[in-house]
Amino acid sequence: MLEDDIDRLLPLAHISLSEPPATKAAAIEFLLDLIADNGRVTDREAALESLREREKEATTGVGMGIGIPHAKTSAVEEPSVAFARSSEGIDFDAMDDKPARLLFMILVPAEGGEEHLQILSALSRALMHEDVRETLLEAEDAETVQETVREAVN
Amino acid sequence: MPERVVTIVPEDGLHARPASKFVEAANGFDSEIQVGHVDGESVNAASMLAVTGLGAASGDEVRLSAEGEDAEAALDELERILTTPEDEL
Repeated sequence: MLEDDIDRLLPLAHISLSEPPATKAAAIEFLLDLIADNGRVTDREAALESLREREKEATTGVGMGIGIPHAKTSAVEEPSVAFARSSEGIDFDAMDDKPARLLFMILVPAEGGEEHLQILSALSRALMHEDVRETLLEAEDAETVQETVREAVN
Repeated sequence: MPERVVTIVPEDGLHARPASKFVEAANGFDSEIQVGHVDGESVNAASMLAVTGLGAASGDEVRLSAEGEDAEAALDELERILTTPEDEL
């Protein structure tokens, strides 16, 4: 189901290979802006607030060098995923204390039901594979990132 | 190996705070603990990424299994977390 939607969920415009800011809070805004700059966020502050609320409840630093900040918010009208990566790693308060190098953001509409959990779990399963993580860390262009995600969530 | 099947109570499933409490608790025992849907593969309960990957929703049945000295205590505590509504956790 998800693999057909990758172009819509994770368009090339949502993939950055530039170095994100070094703190968790600033990196979350960096990811949000990838989606906002693509015209998909109707209220940036509201989206940011939803993301911060979710982090307050429990960190989205899931360990193994991965952070997946996510939220349901009325500030987006379609499910959207963004990608960035950090060469040094960012402290995401993960339980394994590993800094997050691969960052994915998931934003889904407030009425999205369990869609965000489906995207989150598919992405998490994909990222459990070391070869997927390595390919994403080494990708030299956005197309490679998008293709890797498409194949990995299959 | 001790195991039990538990129905997930928190409204958002094994996600956010309940998931975080669950993985934290699993890390606190010496036993090796696995969790998975009753009809699916089991994963390491001490890995947040693996547990997130299950996508276990409220009402889903999961099988917990534990191997080690404190296996029964671990299963008791993990069952408690999975069967406590999120606002009481």
